[in-house]
Amino acid sequence: MSLHVDIARPKGVTPRTAIPAAIVIAFIIVAIVVICAFFGGSIAPDSPFTQRLQVGDVPPSAEFLAGTDLLGRDVLSRVIHGAWTALVGPVVVAAGAFAIATVLGLLSGYLGGAVDSAIMRWVDFMLALPGPLVAIVVVGVVGGGYWTAVTVLIILFTAPDTRIVRSAVLEQRPRPYIDAARALGVSKARILFIHILPNVLPIILAYVVLDFAFALVNLAGLSFLGLGVEPGTPDWGRMLFENRTILFTNPVALLLPAAMVILTAVSMNLIGDWLFARFTRQ
Amino acid sequence: MLALRDLAISAAGRAITTGTSLDIARGETIAIVGESGSGKSLTAKAIARLLPPGVSATGRVTYDGTDLLALPEREMQQIRGSRLSLMLQDPFTMLNPLMKSGLHIAEMLRDRPEFRDRAALKAEVARRLTEVGITDPDVAERMPFQLSGGMSQRISLAAALARDPELLIADEPSTALDVTTQAEIIKLLKRVQQSRGMSLVLITHNLRLAFSACDRIYVLYAGSLLEVGTARAVEADPFHPYTLGLLLSEPPADKRVPKLIAIRGKVPGADEVAGRCVFSDRCDWAKEICRVAAPALAELAPGRLTACIRRSEIAAEMQALRGSALAPSDPPQPPDRGIQPIVRTANLVKTFAGRHGRAVEALKGVSIEVRPGESVGLVGESGSGKTTLGRSLVGLETPTNGRIEIGGYDASDFSAMTAVDRAATRRTIQMVFQDPYSTLNPRHSVRRSLSEAIGTIGRFPGSEIDSRIAELLREVGLPEHYAERRPSSLSGGERQRVAIARALSVNPKILVCDEPVSALDVSVQAQILNLFKRLQSELGLSYLFITHDLAVVRQIAERIYVLYLGEIVEHGSAEEVIGRPQHPYTKRLIDSIPH
Amino acid sequence: MMRSGVARLILMRLAIAVPLLLIISFGVFSLVHLAPGDPVRSLLGTRPSDPETLANLRARYHLDDPFIVQYGKWLGQVLRGDLGRSINGNRLVLSSIKERASVTVYLCLVSTVIVLVAGISLGMLAAFRRGGRLDRFVVMFGVFGISSPAFVTGIFLLYVFGVVLGWFPTFGAGRGFLDRFWHLTLPSLALALSIMAIVVKITRASMIEVMDRDYVAFARARGMSGMRITLAYILRNALIPVVTAGGLIVIGFLANAIYVEVTFALPGLGSLIVDAVQKRDIPLIQGTTLVFALFVVIINLVVDVIYTMIDPRIRFGRVAS
Repeated sequence: MSLHVDIARPKGVTPRTAIPAAIVIAFIIVAIVVICAFFGGSIAPDSPFTQRLQVGDVPPSAEFLAGTDLLGRDVLSRVIHGAWTALVGPVVVAAGAFAIATVLGLLSGYLGGAVDSAIMRWVDFMLALPGPLVAIVVVGVVGGGYWTAVTVLIILFTAPDTRIVRSAVLEQRPRPYIDAARALGVSKARILFIHILPNVLPIILAYVVLDFAFALVNLAGLSFLGLGVEPGTPDWGRMLFENRTILFTNPVALLLPAAMVILTAVSMNLIGDWLFARFTRQ
Repeated sequence: MLALRDLAISAAGRAITTGTSLDIARGETIAIVGESGSGKSLTAKAIARLLPPGVSATGRVTYDGTDLLALPEREMQQIRGSRLSLMLQDPFTMLNPLMKSGLHIAEMLRDRPEFRDRAALKAEVARRLTEVGITDPDVAERMPFQLSGGMSQRISLAAALARDPELLIADEPSTALDVTTQAEIIKLLKRVQQSRGMSLVLITHNLRLAFSACDRIYVLYAGSLLEVGTARAVEADPFHPYTLGLLLSEPPADKRVPKLIAIRGKVPGADEVAGRCVFSDRCDWAKEICRVAAPALAELAPGRLTACIRRSEIAAEMQALRGSALAPSDPPQPPDRGIQPIVRTANLVKTFAGRHGRAVEALKGVSIEVRPGESVGLVGESGSGKTTLGRSLVGLETPTNGRIEIGGYDASDFSAMTAVDRAATRRTIQMVFQDPYSTLNPRHSVRRSLSEAIGTIGRFPGSEIDSRIAELLREVGLPEHYAERRPSSLSGGERQRVAIARALSVNPKILVCDEPVSALDVSVQAQILNLFKRLQSELGLSYLFITHDLAVVRQIAERIYVLYLGEIVEHGSAEEVIGRPQHPYTKRLIDSIPH
Repeated sequence: MMRSGVARLILMRLAIAVPLLLIISFGVFSLVHLAPGDPVRSLLGTRPSDPETLANLRARYHLDDPFIVQYGKWLGQVLRGDLGRSINGNRLVLSSIKERASVTVYLCLVSTVIVLVAGISLGMLAAFRRGGRLDRFVVMFGVFGISSPAFVTGIFLLYVFGVVLGWFPTFGAGRGFLDRFWHLTLPSLALALSIMAIVVKITRASMIEVMDRDYVAFARARGMSGMRITLAYILRNALIPVVTAGGLIVIGFLANAIYVEVTFALPGLGSLIVDAVQKRDIPLIQGTTLVFALFVVIINLVVDVIYTMIDPRIRFGRVAS
């Protein structure tokens, strides 16, 4: 009844595989978005708020590289400034949801018993809710704009994230090194934070990145329905909401923010998948 | 009937096996013996042209005159199953989880005209089941997850034989099973082989099994064939140091030897030892001439080949080594009866709440004791409750009923003990676990793991911790600089040594060892067993050695308890229990050892 | 024995679905009180706020009763089929829903067919040609699809095929069967593309994992034909995770259907609910949310039952990995 030893297990440091080209591009795109978010003011050719009602919506020209929208505002500047809301909200959602989920998942997975049942019951309930619907309805009725949306998303994301953390913890828990720590009398807290958490963190990190992409898409979606950011704020989703009417006169005002949403989300998804593959290969 | 010529397997440019040549005649049984990394499984798959993507093979595989490697896939598919068949290692994953077990056999016979009729097909499936020892035809209606390991193996065998192939390749057909089931399956294989006049290729890491079940043996190591011969000849006088080493690494069950001859070092991959004798790094007889180039297989007697070019010079030394290695040691002194046992359990009961409210009684009233300086073996198969017992002793499980005394303290419920008593108990008894690959925290260096363990017995200044770590590493036979290493850079045997060091860091009086060597290569097993023996004599340690392997326990333990389905069915000194077993289960265990 | 096993499981799932719906209904009901300000104001809409109107509203919505009683009365109404009247326009909520439902149902059905057929086929193909160009393309497509919610793909499709090429209309749902089909082509495609990505990804990953399994290798070792192995061994096992992800897929459908209807100005349930939310029409929001949620819960239940039926391990109480 021996578990046969597999020589294919790595002996020696895991070989560093080269980063695929697509991932490099993904990192570059994310870097551009981050730079736009923090230094938008210096990069953008114009203020995103200046209205030129006489000019109205015009297609791209030398003066306005991406044209103007219905209120005569420079589309390019608005897109650049829009990187901020595309970055901050999703980061807060992903980090916040996972911070809570990590605590819940650790407790639920390691302690088991009543704590686990209670938490999982709550998770199951949350997962059965039609999430996007809840977000739309709650944000719409309560009002409050961007940060309400962020809060609602954090609450909605915590449940599936908790399940993920709990699975990862459950994978570690029966392993002999945990048993050995218990047999030595190492405290529960130490086992949770010094032994289990470091082994679970890499997977969590990969999922945080994936969560970011998902949060971005959801936030942009809410703004697209007029429910997220306040009117007037430069925000990619909001621009999709505002500029639908000028599809025929200046389509760039729609296509550019749409493209930015896709590119950012794709980049983060690629990075998240790559991290996930790297960490599960070990 | 089947002939391999220079079959070389490689993956991603790295060699896995070098040119292997092999012959098997009709009705013959041969064994390909090797440890992990030898390339034996891949060789089997190469013959059936079932190599995983990324792995390729060159050479010739001639089956009844046809070169299998050159055949187009469609024709090869005709050959598989009907002329030659392959059984894989793990019986639990060989069957389609969504298909009834009987269907695995039926689907291979369905297109034959005589089985168009449903009833005829059903009867044939039932007949095939009886051939593999399953007499209840209802088993055909069960799903694979409802079958035990032994049953799954039998169904897989029936499926593999459904189209009556002339050659069956069985890859480690019994490794994943219980010892007693293993013996049954091997017997079944032989019976089926003889009644069908089939040729059988048995892939295994167990030399003794190969000797007992097969006509001829091929010994494979790190991708190269090192020795070929009839089972009898090789067993009587191995021509290659590796074969001898393997033979001597496997502990004999019939006597206790003072020290197992272990092959030092660890098993390499094929490409690490290219350009020289693959075994030279670990061979005690290696000389310059062995490292110049890879020696070829030479036929020293009809049918007897060896790749050791120093054979004629060292033959006498090898015989001598064998003789001395197998000389029995003096029977161990039974400890003074008056001394208080370190560990004692009285009527220990442990019941688990199973699925659907069906309670599982893991332990049904077990009473054992271990005295200071004593080594006691606890022998049982899966489901015997041995692991539960071991875990209860170190506080990882709490018994439902009964008493545990450790070092004089009542340790029946660790959570009910005072913190002081509990800490004292933890300094008395520690545990070594089975799987070396998950026994250490992968993200902690050796130093970190050991410091933590040392930290549980008190606060010490850094320099003292450092010197203690160095001392522990030396104690378990590892160089000091290993402290900086992470587990991923250590081999299985090395990891197990670190785990032992960790257990020793609290200066325990007794170690509970739960199958500590089962997951290791045979050549490494012997090293670790020797380590255990040395630690016992140097530190005065006691052991509760839990294992299913009677041969292993013979080398370590003075007394043995035999555990079966949660009860002790036999108990006595090692000589008594193994030499003159009383209980039918013990007898079955002993009969299961290949001989 | 099998029948009772399945029936028992359906009952168990129902037993969970009912309390779930109750809790959702409770949440939906409390929306009135969730809105900032006095509930009466929310329910007022654009009507004049004279004392008589306010008193009427208070009476009609039982606003002076304790919370639980309000809920009870509201629930009673709902179960009798009365979903109230919308504030703007005073139409029966139920009629608004009935009017709009057909567009949404049509949209979802067409998209589902596209998603299942194209999604699973692509996933299978990519898995068979693992590592090849098609595979890499499909993987990229998957990533893009998951990152592109339907309002983004919708806009791109709208621009390319509606504006530039002018092949399809850019808004509305059309009249008559063929006209409707023409109007709903782009929206269905937009919706399908976003969801298809998930299905492709899961199908491909699942197939690759199954193809590496021992039982597939053993089937090949026994000389089983490629077709048999693909169907009975690979597909049957690989599709289970896809069904398991059914819940995820349904939720994705929900969100993206709403986006698509808004993008293409389709008079469906999704755009109805968005309208209601934008206008703070509480009764309308409550009614449509409830209907939507009911749909989702029912579909999830069906998916659960299907999953139980195709994986025998569940029936016997074992958890499949």
